[in-house]
Amino acid sequence: MEESELVLRLKDRDKNAMAYLYDKYSAALLGVASRIIKDDDISEEVLQDVFMKIWNKIDQYDASRGRFFTWMMNLTRNAAIDKLRSKEISRSSKTDSMDDYVYRVDSRNSTEMHTDGIGVRALLNDLVEEQKFILEKVYFEGFTHTEIAEEYDIPLGTVKSRLRSALKHMRKKLA
Amino acid sequence: MNIEEYISSGILEAYALNELSAEEMREVEAVMAKYPEVKAELNAIEKAFEDMAMATQVAPKPEMKKAILDKIDEQTAPSAEQPTTRQDTPKVVSLPASRGWKYAVAASLVLALVSGYLAIDYRSKWKSSSQAYAQLLASNSQMAEQYNQVNQKLDQLETDFGILSNPNFRRIGMAGTDNAKEAYADVYWNETTEELYLNIVNLQELAADKQYQLWAIVDGQPVDAGVFDWNAEGLVKMKRIAQSAAFAVTVEPKGGSESPSLETMQVLGNVKKS
Repeated sequence: MEESELVLRLKDRDKNAMAYLYDKYSAALLGVASRIIKDDDISEEVLQDVFMKIWNKIDQYDASRGRFFTWMMNLTRNAAIDKLRSKEISRSSKTDSMDDYVYRVDSRNSTEMHTDGIGVRALLNDLVEEQKFILEKVYFEGFTHTEIAEEYDIPLGTVKSRLRSALKHMRKKLA
Repeated sequence: MNIEEYISSGILEAYALNELSAEEMREVEAVMAKYPEVKAELNAIEKAFEDMAMATQVAPKPEMKKAILDKIDEQTAPSAEQPTTRQDTPKVVSLPASRGWKYAVAASLVLALVSGYLAIDYRSKWKSSSQAYAQLLASNSQMAEQYNQVNQKLDQLETDFGILSNPNFRRIGMAGTDNAKEAYADVYWNETTEELYLNIVNLQELAADKQYQLWAIVDGQPVDAGVFDWNAEGLVKMKRIAQSAAFAVTVEPKGGSESPSLETMQVLGNVKKS
């Protein structure tokens, strides 16, 4: 189904479209949520909320402002970050580093998943260290540019340019 | 507006990640409406986010799907049973016929006078503040431009540094010939990836219709490795070269020549057998 048709059917309150949406995107969105929250059960709670939000707020999606997935991804990121705050799980107090968690998720992927997900580590393996760090923090852990700049004492412009370089690399790789 | 600089500032990535203020977002949307290439770049960025998410999926528990679809059913069922609220026929409110209308006319006259005065007053205030605002905008965009330039320069330096510190790149120094004893330039060459960069240390200024041209010497024959300006800064990316016994630079008409004017050779350096 074309993205535009899917959106149209969702706006038309078509439950079959919702099932289709779930099959296509639930695993990608759960990936987004679980890398921010780092707890499988809470992440699935968030995923459930996110699908309800997609269903209830679909009229707010405006195709002229970006892709449908981006909209869903940002809903998911916001919901995950809100959940983190409400549970008062401070991200910095967590002892397990991204790397540990990524290992865990990756190994879970390989046993439980029937998707073609290759895992964060494999995806980022050929990035230079500074770029990998920024991409992990911004994209996978949901930090804002400003948070990284302040917390890790990196100039904001550098955060932006490293993110851009990292993303350019990913675009080439995933093209 | 310089579109390349605008794109390279990273503002589109921030837009896609929902990190901009409402005002900044409107600005980006205005730029996108004007420049399709900006819109296309944003789409490519978003596509990368999407592809990355797709490549790093985590499958939910199988029972999740039913739970979510059931919840939607639950939510929609009761509202379907509710009778749809019917639109009442609009009520016509008739004004009581009273003599109060005279007072009303008087009051509205006073109101009109007062608002007329206020309008003039606000207009003059608005004029002066909109001027100040325009000045601020101008200096703001000037700063943004300078910032982008610095940022780009930094990007360039970071790339250069990456090449300089990459052990796969060999440095081949090219010393001045009899034509220009003081001249010197380096090439950085990665034989595996065939990438080639040039760094000017000291080359003389050229006339506007001339350019330097780099040559790789393969089996005794010069092979064109690209042209560059006498004042090029940083590492200049040259053509890919698979093998070469030596590198040399000659002066050629702008745009380069098919074969080198050997009598103008400025610098020359042999590649040591590794």
